[in-house]
Amino acid sequence: MATDTDGETVTSEVAQFSTDTSSREEVLLWVDDHLKWLMTIPAVLILFSLTFYPLLRALQFSTQSYLPTGTVFVGIENYVQLLSDGAFINSLVVTAKFVGIAVTLEFILGFAMALVLNKKIKVRGLWQTLILIPMILSPTVIGLIWRLMYAPNGLLDYIAAPLTGGANVGWISETSVALYSVILTDIWQWTPLVVLVLFAGLQSVPDDISEAAIMDGASRRQRFMDITLPYLKSLIVLILIIRLVDALRVFAKVFILTRGGPSDATNVISMEMYRTAFRFNNFGEASAMAVSLLVLVLILAMSFVNIANVEFGS
Amino acid sequence: MTTKQDTPVETMPYTEPSGLEKLHERLTETGLTKAGVYGALAVFLVWTLFPVYWLVTATLKTRETLLSFPPQWIPVDAQFANFARLFAERPEFVTFITNSVIVTVVTTVIATTIGAMAAYAFVTFDYPYNLDFHLPFYILSTRFMPPIVTIIPLFVIFRGFGLVNTLRGLILVYTMFNIPFAVWMMKGFFEEVPESLIESAMIDGHTHLGAFFKIVLPLVKPGLIASAIFTTIITWNELLFAVILAQSSQAITVPVGLASFVTKFSVQWINMSVAATIALVPVLLFAFMARQQLVRGFSMGAVGK
Repeated sequence: MATDTDGETVTSEVAQFSTDTSSREEVLLWVDDHLKWLMTIPAVLILFSLTFYPLLRALQFSTQSYLPTGTVFVGIENYVQLLSDGAFINSLVVTAKFVGIAVTLEFILGFAMALVLNKKIKVRGLWQTLILIPMILSPTVIGLIWRLMYAPNGLLDYIAAPLTGGANVGWISETSVALYSVILTDIWQWTPLVVLVLFAGLQSVPDDISEAAIMDGASRRQRFMDITLPYLKSLIVLILIIRLVDALRVFAKVFILTRGGPSDATNVISMEMYRTAFRFNNFGEASAMAVSLLVLVLILAMSFVNIANVEFGS
Repeated sequence: MTTKQDTPVETMPYTEPSGLEKLHERLTETGLTKAGVYGALAVFLVWTLFPVYWLVTATLKTRETLLSFPPQWIPVDAQFANFARLFAERPEFVTFITNSVIVTVVTTVIATTIGAMAAYAFVTFDYPYNLDFHLPFYILSTRFMPPIVTIIPLFVIFRGFGLVNTLRGLILVYTMFNIPFAVWMMKGFFEEVPESLIESAMIDGHTHLGAFFKIVLPLVKPGLIASAIFTTIITWNELLFAVILAQSSQAITVPVGLASFVTKFSVQWINMSVAATIALVPVLLFAFMARQQLVRGFSMGAVGK
């Protein structure tokens, strides 16, 4: 359409002053009159039909039971069922461990690295490009990379040999180890994001405030607590929410590394939902899980924002 | 920063530095902290990059040298035939790549266009009920929803419309996925464009739509490129929706194909490494071309997933 109007510019100028406007001209004028709706409707329509409408359908599905003969309305029975479903409760615990450990370590390691780098390293550098690499890789590829590293007699077994006496660790096949191996891949992928975001934040702390504080005799620790931290507050909250919400939806890494095993040790909530819906065809209970997960995410995100406001004071 | 610290000390009121600070200053003087910082950075970079190196070099090894004990750090006797063998043993992988390219290109074009149009409208026009303020927030909020929440109803809806196992279905889902990011990215860029520019273009005889495409879009090219690159990477990488909405080979994309190399009991190590490397190279190239925008995009917290 851009090129159409382009070629027509000269003629349209003439046409506007001539009495008989062509139908093409009328269409263009009509488009311009309604531009504000025409430009937003595609985006709004796609988002409503592919996120809000399915959300309502998920609510509806979660109140139904799927029988070979059709669907039956069962009210809150699916939700009651969830409470006594050992696999679902287990997946909640596994997810909580995964999210808790991964996000905490990513934040601590990333913040420490950003603080160290903020000292002496030039603002922009090759290192920033290089640490982007894990972030942009497909979680599928990351799963495969680590599957290779975790292979029996593979690289990590070799590195760990002095500690294990040569026996294979069973990184993703040993029930007590597997979850931590999956967590490690997440830390590997997302610590660089924390570094990048907090480093950018640290760089934007104005030098003059910090210099004035030095003149007033503020110690390194005081300067960190009273200048740097308040300055970074909103960025810290933002990065934690992003990581929290994102870690809760982990799927591909688990799918590639362990498929939720061994004996459900890495069966995160999205994996459990996938199995319930598409292995056991229990759409009702899987939808109830989906709705519960959504509520959980909303509560977490909102309470997190509230806590952050109270603690740092907005 | 630490060197500046020494000068004002004599003239200003000054509290005695703690032992730790004295140690730090001593270290700075001798240049040890600088070495420490670069040392820490080196360790961090090796930790971040080595796993990728390990995958890429695996494509040149044999099955025996790949899992040899002790490991072969640098591939000797590079097996370039591994690449040919993947396509000989798994010819369908060509289809997977074609599917992924089609889905990624079409999604990127549609999502960026639709997102940019919406963003421009929200910035330019006034809507009733303050919609120009509220709608972008609704759009952004969809990003916080775990995608798996809607996947069951989407599967049922798509089955009804015959969109399961089609590239059209995947394109539709990925467009939905990427619009929020495009809208928010572009909004910032459009806000910088002066209104007078559009007015004068319209006085010159452009329609408003014509002015948008001919005058405004070229001005926000960096934003368009950035959202296109984020969309491309996200779409090329996506597994969850592809696994559920595309199960037959006419719509299987690269990530789903990759997953098929790994079963619970066995892994085709060499083929898997070659295929994963092929999936990884375009992303690396794209990222390298657009490294500035990516660093800025990620640092802004405008994280695309």
